[in-house]
Amino acid sequence: MPPFVKQLLLRLLALPLTLLIITAALYGIIMLAPAEERAQLYLPPRTPPLTQEESQRLMARLVTEHGLDDPYPVQYARWLGDLLRGDWGWSPTFKADVLTLLKKRLPVTAELAFYAVLVIVPTALIGGVLSGWRANGRFDRGYRLATFVATSIPPFILGLFLLSIFYVGLGWFPPGRTGIYELSLSTSDFRAITGFLTFDGLLNGRLDVVADALRRLVLPVFSLSLLYWATVGRVTRVAMIEEQTRDYLLTARAKGLRERRLEWRHAFPNAVGPALTAMILSAAGLVTGIYIVESVFGFKGLSELVTKGFFVAPDAPLVMGFAVFSVLLVLPIILLFDLLRVTLDPRLREDGLEL
Amino acid sequence: MRRRLRPFRRRSTLIGLALVLGFCLLAALAPVLAPPLNPADPWPFMNVSQSFSRQPQPPGPGLPLGTTPQIQNMPQYGLAPGQDASYQWDVFYTLVWGARSALRFGLLVTILTALIGIAVGVVSGYAGGLSNLLAMRVTDAFLAFPVIAGVWVIQRAFYGNIYNPFNDPTTLTGWEAFLYRARIDPIMIAFILFSWMPYARLMNAQARRVKNMDYIRAAEAMGATGGRVIWRHLLPNTIAPAIVLAARDVGGMVILASAFIFIGFGGNVAWGTMLVSSRDFVIGLNGNPFAYWWTFVPISLALVLFGVGWNLLGDGLNAALNPHGR
Repeated sequence: MPPFVKQLLLRLLALPLTLLIITAALYGIIMLAPAEERAQLYLPPRTPPLTQEESQRLMARLVTEHGLDDPYPVQYARWLGDLLRGDWGWSPTFKADVLTLLKKRLPVTAELAFYAVLVIVPTALIGGVLSGWRANGRFDRGYRLATFVATSIPPFILGLFLLSIFYVGLGWFPPGRTGIYELSLSTSDFRAITGFLTFDGLLNGRLDVVADALRRLVLPVFSLSLLYWATVGRVTRVAMIEEQTRDYLLTARAKGLRERRLEWRHAFPNAVGPALTAMILSAAGLVTGIYIVESVFGFKGLSELVTKGFFVAPDAPLVMGFAVFSVLLVLPIILLFDLLRVTLDPRLREDGLEL
Repeated sequence: MRRRLRPFRRRSTLIGLALVLGFCLLAALAPVLAPPLNPADPWPFMNVSQSFSRQPQPPGPGLPLGTTPQIQNMPQYGLAPGQDASYQWDVFYTLVWGARSALRFGLLVTILTALIGIAVGVVSGYAGGLSNLLAMRVTDAFLAFPVIAGVWVIQRAFYGNIYNPFNDPTTLTGWEAFLYRARIDPIMIAFILFSWMPYARLMNAQARRVKNMDYIRAAEAMGATGGRVIWRHLLPNTIAPAIVLAARDVGGMVILASAFIFIGFGGNVAWGTMLVSSRDFVIGLNGNPFAYWWTFVPISLALVLFGVGWNLLGDGLNAALNPHGR
């Protein structure tokens, strides 16, 4: 088996294990709560609003019916089995099946994640390499100042100020995801294929939709990317500075290779490992950041399920479904960065397991 | 010692130190700067009544930074749309008292997460073998978990009665009453449970690096127990980067908690709670973006400076404790 394929398989195998550990921890937390809380996981679909007495009776029945006093491993295995079979429970808040609900919101969040990653990776790597290669130069000093400012401003406050300036003040970028197109998207013959507005617009030949969607993505993606651009860029910069002292560069330089080639062909692949590791470590933070930015800019994505679900009737299926789904959103991002790391860093392609 | 203190003479470190000390001073002097109504149990918000206006009141005498109206149309509390509760909160008062809640939240969360992470990392790293593999697998799995989902799970599982507005606080059960009285919010618990991983990874690498060094081997050869080796030899020599990480984390934790409160979670970081209602005055005006600047600029600035202060302090500590590093 070629080493690259082996690496790929190893990494794919790690994903279910991660999911298993996290779901076990989640169910462990819920186990500490009263059994009635867990009984909501088995709420039958289309339950009408109940009075307090009726609801108490129903919960007591569900507890005995689904064995919610059983030991933890038994209950956890049963719940996990339901998840795998696609039975994620029924949400009384939104009066809908939880999995359908989550799937419907996914494209909004995924589109933001897609563009954020698309912006962060190249800008952070290029910026970090350029400033690290000529450390303490003029570009480097400017870059360090920029990353310092960027890490100082929390994304949600940045979003708030950007909205204030570019929407209220200048009127350039409106908040929200669809605006006036909402109606035309649902009534006309606009077919949703990927769920990404920018892709669907292209596939349907509606460039006006693409333009509008892109315009609305500018501020959220910017306020989301700035912080990660800075953190990842800093790691890249430090890694580049460390690479400069290595002997292989001295050899390459002695052979008379051009500086540009040394920078990108020799030093960069070695510096990219730490940068991508930093991205893997902050992938979950990125998803949390997406939820926050969604909420600030009024995108009706997965986070709306959280912000709308407050104070209403208890809704354990939605809460647990949201938690599991969030992990499912993080894992592909981690896998992507991991594969990128294996592809770019020749050392990882050669020999075995490394985490 | 002299040489160790040199990094503290760097300008950026001094600024960081000054900012952090400034916030500590603000927190300590809060009762003097903004006298509370009930000194025994100060609430970080001050109602400014005698006004039925729903506009934010601009800065003026007695109100150094104006007020932000709290309009709660609460259909879930059984109020009809016309019956909204409305009152005004003093911005300056919360700016001062918020420093207390921010420091309390940041320090408590950071210290506890650091302790958990360091314990997991050092013990598994020193033990090595299968237990190390297992602990690091769990650590990596937790790294894939967005903390926001943890906050929601914990809020739903344990805070149903505490956050129920119809509930009388005296009817809470033992641990619920403890969480309520100690002002421990779901955000705090979730942060402690789901952000220890960076410390564990860091300390694990550190422990594995030094555990085969001569001084550890010598201690083992002299018959020191595993606990003693970790406590007396391993920790003092490896803990510096974790302290740096912790110092940088304090500000970040408070900012993230404010963001969660801002998008609608219940929590006890007063700055975050104050920003929730200023949201209407950032977006709700046509033309002039900063017409009601006092509703969001001072608090945002406090949050940013709080984060910057701890970050710079962390950089300074890094330079002091790790002179060879970056």
